[in-house]
Amino acid sequence: MSPRLWRYILVRFILTIPMLLILVSLVFFVMRMLPGDPALAILREGASDEQLAAFRAVLGLDRPLHIQYLDFVASVIRFDFGISMTRNIPVVEEIKTFFPATVELAVYGMLVTTVLGVFFGAFAAQHRKSPADYGIRVASIILYSLPIFWLGLMFQMVFGAQLGWLPVSGRLSPGMTPSESITGMYTVDAILRRDWVLLGDALRHLVLPSLTLGLVLAGIFTRLTRANMLDVLEQDFITAGRARGLRERVLVYKHGLRNAFIPIVTLLGLQFALLLAGAILTETTFSWSGMGRLIVDRIYDRDFTTIQGSILFFALLVAGASLVVDVLYGLLDPRIRY
Amino acid sequence: MQTVAMLDQVGLLRRFLRARVWHGAEWYITVLGSAILVTVATLTLLAPVVAPHDPNEFIGAPFTPPGGGRQALLGRNGEVRIAPGANLNGVVIGVQRNRNGANLAKRLGAQGVRFEDQQALLEGLKTGEVDLIFLDEDLGRELVASDSQLELVADGIGLRFLLGTDNLGRDITSRLIWGARTVLGVALSSALLASSLGIPLGLISGFVAGRLDKVLSLTMDSIYSFPGFLLAIAMATMLGPGVINVAIAISVIYIPTFFRVVRGQVLSIKEQLYVEAARSLGARASDILTRYIFPNVIPSVVVVFSLNIADAILTEAGLSFIGLGLPPDVPDWGYDLSKGHQFLVAGRWWMITFPGVLITLVAAGFSLLGEGLSEMLNPRLSET
Repeated sequence: MSPRLWRYILVRFILTIPMLLILVSLVFFVMRMLPGDPALAILREGASDEQLAAFRAVLGLDRPLHIQYLDFVASVIRFDFGISMTRNIPVVEEIKTFFPATVELAVYGMLVTTVLGVFFGAFAAQHRKSPADYGIRVASIILYSLPIFWLGLMFQMVFGAQLGWLPVSGRLSPGMTPSESITGMYTVDAILRRDWVLLGDALRHLVLPSLTLGLVLAGIFTRLTRANMLDVLEQDFITAGRARGLRERVLVYKHGLRNAFIPIVTLLGLQFALLLAGAILTETTFSWSGMGRLIVDRIYDRDFTTIQGSILFFALLVAGASLVVDVLYGLLDPRIRY
Repeated sequence: MQTVAMLDQVGLLRRFLRARVWHGAEWYITVLGSAILVTVATLTLLAPVVAPHDPNEFIGAPFTPPGGGRQALLGRNGEVRIAPGANLNGVVIGVQRNRNGANLAKRLGAQGVRFEDQQALLEGLKTGEVDLIFLDEDLGRELVASDSQLELVADGIGLRFLLGTDNLGRDITSRLIWGARTVLGVALSSALLASSLGIPLGLISGFVAGRLDKVLSLTMDSIYSFPGFLLAIAMATMLGPGVINVAIAISVIYIPTFFRVVRGQVLSIKEQLYVEAARSLGARASDILTRYIFPNVIPSVVVVFSLNIADAILTEAGLSFIGLGLPPDVPDWGYDLSKGHQFLVAGRWWMITFPGVLITLVAAGFSLLGEGLSEMLNPRLSET
């Protein structure tokens, strides 16, 4: 690797720090400074002033705001997201339990999105301004106008409740117990343990949630792929290929798609945030015990530290993902340098 | 000269229709989107007139399926003669608990007697415990046809619920119509809020450049990269339920969108020759910004505005669905969906189908409009 590449990676890494600081400050601002007293919210109405004061002291809410802020930033750096208010265990432990399920759902969802998005996007670009192109475009607009949880509900109703083909909730059937966790992702664990029954059951439970998540994102992904493919297909090397008599299919799907792939990788990174947001709603619909379920359940319990910790965790994740994507981008495309 | 004169004579409608030749498919997309929105907006504005019932009134029986609600009055064959419009005072009518007849008997002035189930109800009629019974219209007709002891006294009584009722017997049609008000209100005000912050910040940041621009851009990009829905969750959790609170919570997500688009536009517009000309003629910076640059930003803002409303509708529905939305007495599609979720396995499909269709329709309407406008207004931007 060239020194310029290292320089690029280093600069990109340093640029992540202010971004992280802004995100952490944003979370602090939202969770601490907006109206709505966490102490009052947790103890509910009727708590005496002494109780409230004691509770604030436990949470450290009685200290000056700037001390609270510095303390907050310091603990985030140490990956310390506090103790869950309702379960009395570190929030990090909670995240460790719930996060693998979200990763599993997101990976399969992304698989659906990528396959559909790349195929339909490339197809629409190839047949630009044809009825098929307009059909795909309108379909993708409608797809991303679908409330993701509603699509999930419809799938549950049709394939679960009416036809009875697929399970509508949870990650495994009631009788099944996951073997001792290795990664927390049931399909991966099952493969590692060569437990094919478990694998089948886990996959069956994954079908509807990952289709739900994948389809809605496929709408956006199709559009992005189409736009990028259009750019690539207008370039000279495609025309040159055409002049040499290459078949159109080879041009589009081999030469075109390969070159459109760099921006598509970046887009995958940008979709990461959308993927997480979509996962929260999909998990709620399918009782999928991942991060989304964790956050939504704790909203009902008013467990502010867990909510705050989960949101912070997502902030770190997003910053990390954008760093990884940019570095990948730099590796794939030597023109990208600072 | 002649063609100019002729153009004047061409009507607005004609010109509007001719535009489809010029713009092609974008025209159809825009018109389709607008048509959806105009229909929903009309329904929204006319809600008090077009909604058949109060959205919060427990008007029918719980879980009346779409089109149901009408009742048939059954009596013992050959025994009962009631002239149409006769006073039912003193008549004893049997009704089934949690069925539409329950309210009806009271309103007709008859004495209502409740039965636990259909079996007990029929038994009550046959043993003479009650004079008449109320049954769902179709079921009543069916029973009369198969049971010679029964006679159909009257049918088509009471309310019909076009889209059925929910778990509390509220009319879904009315809830949807009033809910449109809520959803459009929240989405519009959050987009307005976001644009009133994002546009000025973007204008200034792009125009002034320098350190301010760097700081603002980095901040906005950071917020932009954050999953918007999570941010809205955090805001809504802290602000608590309420129409305004939800609108604020949602608006935060979209400030960076307006900022980025406006800033980008300003950066390219301020290099244009006519801006330079204005500057060399001694125009003040504030004039350049407001009179030369801002008007050219408007087309992109309109597009972003429309797309943001579409997204805000989905965000609002999502917040309501996970229980972070509006107070329960405000009719709202997302809230109705989360209620329907509980009864999905019981097969109450109408509780979740219709609100979802409407959310999709309205969100798609705004997306189509934004999409079409973006191609028509900024043909060069359209491929990004």
